[in-house]
Amino acid sequence: MSDKTEREPEIVGFACSYCTFKASEMAGSLRMKYPEKVRVIQVPCSSRVDPAFVIKAIFEGADGVFVSGCHPGDCHFIKGNYYTRRKMAALKEMFKAFSMDGKVKLFWISAAEARRFIEKITNMYNELREEKNAGKKN
Amino acid sequence: MKAGIFICHCGHNIKHTVDVRRLSEYFKKIPGVEVAIDYAFVCSEPGQDIIKESIENKHLDRVVIASCTPSLHGDLFKDLLKKSGINPFYLRRVSIREHCSWVGDDIEANTEKAKRLILSGLYSASHYIPLEEKMVEVNKSALVIGGGVSGLNAALFLAKMGIKVYLVEREEELGGHVRLLNSVWPSKRSGREIVAEMVDELNRLANVDIYTNTTITNFEGFFGNYQVTLKKGEDEKKIIVGGVVVATGFVPFDPSIKPELHYNKDKRIVTTLDLEKGLETLEISKKPRVAILHCIGSRDETIGKSYCSRICCINAIKTAEALKEKYPESYIESFYMDVRAHPKGGEEYFESVQEKGVLFTRGNVAEIIPTDKSIIIRGEDTLLGEVYEKEFDLVVLSIGMSSPVENKALGQLLKISLDKDGFFLEAHIKLRPFDTAVKGIFIAGSCSGPKDAEESINHGKASALKLFGMLNLGYTFVDPFISYVDPKRCSGCRQCEEACIAKAIKFDEKLRIVKVEEAACMGCGLCNATCPSSAISLKGYFDSYISDEISGLLEIA
Ligand SMILES: Cc1cc2nc3c(=O)[nH]c(=O)nc-3n(C[C@H](O)[C@H](O)[C@H](O)COP(=O)(O)OP(=O)(O)OC[C@H]3O[C@@H](n4cnc5c(N)ncnc54)[C@H](O)[C@@H]3O)c2cc1C
Ligand code: SF4
Ligand code: SF4
Ligand code: SF4
Repeated sequence: MSDKTEREPEIVGFACSYCTFKASEMAGSLRMKYPEKVRVIQVPCSSRVDPAFVIKAIFEGADGVFVSGCHPGDCHFIKGNYYTRRKMAALKEMFKAFSMDGKVKLFWISAAEARRFIEKITNMYNELREEKNAGKKN
Repeated sequence: MKAGIFICHCGHNIKHTVDVRRLSEYFKKIPGVEVAIDYAFVCSEPGQDIIKESIENKHLDRVVIASCTPSLHGDLFKDLLKKSGINPFYLRRVSIREHCSWVGDDIEANTEKAKRLILSGLYSASHYIPLEEKMVEVNKSALVIGGGVSGLNAALFLAKMGIKVYLVEREEELGGHVRLLNSVWPSKRSGREIVAEMVDELNRLANVDIYTNTTITNFEGFFGNYQVTLKKGEDEKKIIVGGVVVATGFVPFDPSIKPELHYNKDKRIVTTLDLEKGLETLEISKKPRVAILHCIGSRDETIGKSYCSRICCINAIKTAEALKEKYPESYIESFYMDVRAHPKGGEEYFESVQEKGVLFTRGNVAEIIPTDKSIIIRGEDTLLGEVYEKEFDLVVLSIGMSSPVENKALGQLLKISLDKDGFFLEAHIKLRPFDTAVKGIFIAGSCSGPKDAEESINHGKASALKLFGMLNLGYTFVDPFISYVDPKRCSGCRQCEEACIAKAIKFDEKLRIVKVEEAACMGCGLCNATCPSSAISLKGYFDSYISDEISGLLEIA
């Protein structure tokens, strides 16, 4: 990246095998680019993501964590993603108390949406980069 | 743990932007790693030999392969572990191509990322336990959804190979859109005849059941044993099939979506499909002036269809030729963006029709103005850089292919995905163009994107061949990724039971804890993430696996 002293945020993503992980594969096949510090963990369904994993990632140094599954109604496991939505909403509420809710995001990205995958993670990365370099302003 | 790490160069694909040698040197020093090798193509035969020999000679009990994305190569590496005498679930695939070398250009950053990804895989694999795959019988029968040329040919191929076939068609008659074509390019035979031959052949085969006017209302199960409910009128019927070919085709673009085309409002504006009924229906003079408009319903961002329909240039040319033959004194002008006479022989055909006196003008039509005595057409000739305004007696819209809206419901029923244009999505556009992400469900013909008849037929046959290979084996292994309850930890709170969508968790009244019905478990892991006592775990995705994967990505190293 351009400025060598700039701090780059690290992002860990949990991606459902049937949709977002496929989109990330397609993004790769199409040679789309995104920041190297975004790394993805494959899970069978977004509902497998225990909120504890999100907390753990933040605890161990991630600047942001996203969980991404199929669009509502399209879940391979019928409605696992509704449970994910509920859990993530509760988690976000908790993080809000510490002004940390910007660190967690929930996305719906289907297998066909490689471009959306890139957009979502790049936007998240850019937002977090702003924050991470806040001390350098002025 | 005795782990082996095999890092693939993938020719230049990975090596180009990842320092593979630095990685293998790094991993050699990690405790628990017996071998770390980087090699040009780990999937090649010599590559596989290296892995097999390493397993045997170094007594490896974990194999981490850092290469392309795990959904590629099927069971190749799993089988290799089996052949080398260790449990196939000691395998860990790490994607350093689709998720690393192809998505970043900076070799330093990529190498660091690849290191992290492999470390994660290694940490996760250190917790792996051996799993047993259950072998189950496969029903040697197939469901083909859609009786167009792609579905008909898939059904024919499977039936001839001895597979019991259920062919389901929503309409009264088989044949799909080809049945409606007066002349099918390049053979120029009647579509009705072509389809009739296929249907006759199918009817002669004893192991084919054809259901017309029928739709699918329920779909459950897994490869080898899908339970399907068919509905015809009020009657419902349940069948069991081993696999499925989806061949639901396309719908012709409806030009009335764009009011500026005046379709359905003016009789002098017709589509290429209307003309397939025969030119006899036209009420025009012996010297008609005809405009043919390309790309109607394709390559048009204003209606969200950016794709090329592939068939409509040929259709425009075919229509021009037919009109010129019937009305030798006609004036025919075709307006295009660029001519994509796709299949073999298309370019030559395009030239021959130009020689017959059909004019081709580059520049899409901007405006159609019907008046009493003619239809005025305005646009810009982009070759000459001039604006044109011309009068015609007939306007032919060369319409493209759209996806059926019902694909969404069918996709949800079968749990297969759609692409951004509503066509069914291939598991991999180049490497697995016939497969969906679901094992045993294939796609054929124009339901996965615009194709002409010949391409649809071949696609249908190829999908059928792939399915046949799987059915003919007679057995399959089911993934052992199902939930498991630790009786010592379960408090009997039943939260998992309430959450489980598959109703796979049952409360044991005597023991006062839950148990999992293995056959019903879908392997989603929701129960695992729900249990407050960490008592229920999804095999293959234990908490420890994922937790250490996170550490691998983030720990200070
Ligand atoms: C105007 C026009 C002219 C053409 N001219 C040519 C030409 O000259 N040469 C050429 O090679 N190609 C031509 N084509 C293209 C050709 O029509 C297609 O390639 C071909 O029809 C594709 O076959 P298919 O089986 O994939 O789909 P389709 O022909 O669309 O058949 C799909 C079938 O599936 C059925 N179906 C759909 N959904 C369901 C469901 N949910 N349940 C049960 N059944 C379902 C439909 O009723 C239909 O019978 C032309 C197309 C058009 C529009
Ligand atoms: S085949 Fe020709 S007419 Fe059809 S969308 Fe492609 S370029 Fe346009
Ligand atoms: S949620 Fe956990 S503790 Fe409660 S019944 Fe299920 S397995 Fe037992
Ligand atoms: S993994 Fe999913 S389907 Fe299986 S028991 Fe748990 S919640 Fe039910």
